[in-house]
Amino acid sequence: MKTNNTNIKMKLDTSPKNYGDILIEAKDVEVIFNLRGKKLKALRGAGLVLRSGETLTIVGESGSGKSVLSKTLIGMLDKNGTITNGSILYRGVDLARISREEDWLTIRGKRIAMIFQDPMTALNPLKKIGEQIREVIVMHCGLDARASRTAALEMLEKVGITDPERRYEQYPHEFSGGMRQRVVIATAIACNPEILICDEPTTALDVTIQAQILELIKKLQKDMGLSVLFITHDLGVVAKMADKIAVMYAGQVVEEGSVEEIFYDSRHPYTWALLASLPQLGVKGKELFAIKGTPPSLFKEIQGDAFAPRNPYALQVDFYHEPPLFEISPTHRARTWLLDANAPKVEPPEIVVKLREHLKKTTGR
Amino acid sequence: MGKYILRRFWQSIITVLIVLFVMFMLLRLMPKENYFTRDDYINMTEEDRTAYLRNLGVLDNPLVQFVRFLRGFVTGDLGRSITVYPKTPISEILKEKIPYSLWFGLVSVLLSVILGFLMGIGMANNKDKLGDQLGTMYVVAVRAIPSLVYLFLIQMWITHLFNLPMVFYEDEPASWILPAISLSLSGIAWYAIWLRRFMVDEENKDYIKFAIAKGLPRNYIMKRHVLRNALVPLVQYLPSQILLTIAGSLIIESIYSIPGMGGLLVYAIRQQDNTLVQALVCIYSILGVFGVFLGDILMAIVDPRIKLTSAKIEREVTA
Repeated sequence: MKTNNTNIKMKLDTSPKNYGDILIEAKDVEVIFNLRGKKLKALRGAGLVLRSGETLTIVGESGSGKSVLSKTLIGMLDKNGTITNGSILYRGVDLARISREEDWLTIRGKRIAMIFQDPMTALNPLKKIGEQIREVIVMHCGLDARASRTAALEMLEKVGITDPERRYEQYPHEFSGGMRQRVVIATAIACNPEILICDEPTTALDVTIQAQILELIKKLQKDMGLSVLFITHDLGVVAKMADKIAVMYAGQVVEEGSVEEIFYDSRHPYTWALLASLPQLGVKGKELFAIKGTPPSLFKEIQGDAFAPRNPYALQVDFYHEPPLFEISPTHRARTWLLDANAPKVEPPEIVVKLREHLKKTTGR
Repeated sequence: MGKYILRRFWQSIITVLIVLFVMFMLLRLMPKENYFTRDDYINMTEEDRTAYLRNLGVLDNPLVQFVRFLRGFVTGDLGRSITVYPKTPISEILKEKIPYSLWFGLVSVLLSVILGFLMGIGMANNKDKLGDQLGTMYVVAVRAIPSLVYLFLIQMWITHLFNLPMVFYEDEPASWILPAISLSLSGIAWYAIWLRRFMVDEENKDYIKFAIAKGLPRNYIMKRHVLRNALVPLVQYLPSQILLTIAGSLIIESIYSIPGMGGLLVYAIRQQDNTLVQALVCIYSILGVFGVFLGDILMAIVDPRIKLTSAKIEREVTA
């Protein structure tokens, strides 16, 4: 096939060292969905940095753009969505500019894998479990029938499925939810990807199994040197999994930092509100804290800070000008005017200030 | 599996027996005059008529008659037609007519399945694009316009255009083409629209999203996941459609004057030919019920989730 047209062949730099430890650097990503003629701006300049070997969790309420951002990383936006601005650098390639399906096939599943929320529906009900793992191995690792079967059996064993020989021949309906999520994970990591994106992988599971799956992901991450992008709205899961946290609101990352920085030294009023609404911090007999109001409609252009109307700490300027990302430490940044030199001094709510004590008291950690 | 088949088999037998019993008893309520051809009825005396009816056995207890009917059916004796083909054994009528309907029917099922599936796959692959819209137009047209209208148009214009014979002649193969095509038109539409629909359904399921995330190419996903799974709900109907081709098609067989089974039941009912009605209903209901039975077995073969032998679905309790 000749490539003398404008379509320049994508070149993935696979040498390990060249880019330091930064694997993915997304900047100012803007995604617009076209919904029956109306434009919905799902991402309004979101960015993140994923470093090799670490777990970055994205938290935020429904509709904040967590899933959309993660889907841009493997080119799986719905058909009516397009990346209109920004860049997503991965090994010298701007993922935001890949348009050809063939190019995605060299990345998707092979280097960046993704698992989804509901393991009950993520597997083809009419295909043997083993075959569903094997087809990925055949596709990406180019192994023949026998070698790929052995590899699939190994993967089953790796994710803690006993008697893999027998399980290989079974169908999804013969597996429980937790077991299916193990199979899904085995499929995702079958070709040794670098990055695993987990889109709320435990939300649909019951609590005891949640813990097992989280442990499994952690263990695999250690064994295989995976970098994990973990999307959740469960702060308990965040505390268990994360190295870094990015808090999203209305299509932007409003605060990012290490776990310590976000939990014990957060600066953005939205992060405070999120932390304050942790049910573990509730005092018996008192009402649980809830953020008042609803997120803004992304169909309209947002003026100023998107969180301002719900923010008890909002300043006048919040309603007119969008705050930039202020740097607090090399790893910690927040998008709020409260960090401006001219801003009045504001104390976070008491419950957040005393979060460490609270957590110790309620969870014993 | 064996147990499942056996149980479904007995259920089918019982269903058929119930259908036959109800049908048979209803026919017993019809006036006795129907057992005579008009000439016979006029020419016979009252005593002759009673003797004739007694001879036929229709004056006996209905239950006794039913058992006799079943016994006759099993041994191949279907009785004689009364008014449609006076005094001819029904088995002979069928022997003559079934082959026409059966061969045209089988060819049309084959055409419908092949062309309908190709069309459905094409439509699902090009969803909302021009090809899909053209396909939908065809389906809507065939299903919405009364078939007589377009069948007449075909008979008038196509025969003219390609110089094909207007009606069916047994010794002229060129005259077989149009009936076979006409018979397939609505079948093609049926398979196309359902396959498209099931494929689009499958395409929107979560496991397809995961299959894409696995990095599988679209063609592979369409073939191995979407199409494979979309065929499952369709295979169920195949056996009954094949078996019921025996019944023929009233409209097409009369347009092309094919001496097949189409319309035979309608004529029999209109002319109150009780023995012919009961023989035909018996055959059609057996074929219908066993078509469903075979469809269920096919389903159980292609869908591993169906294991109705017992509710013992093995599931590991540990997560």
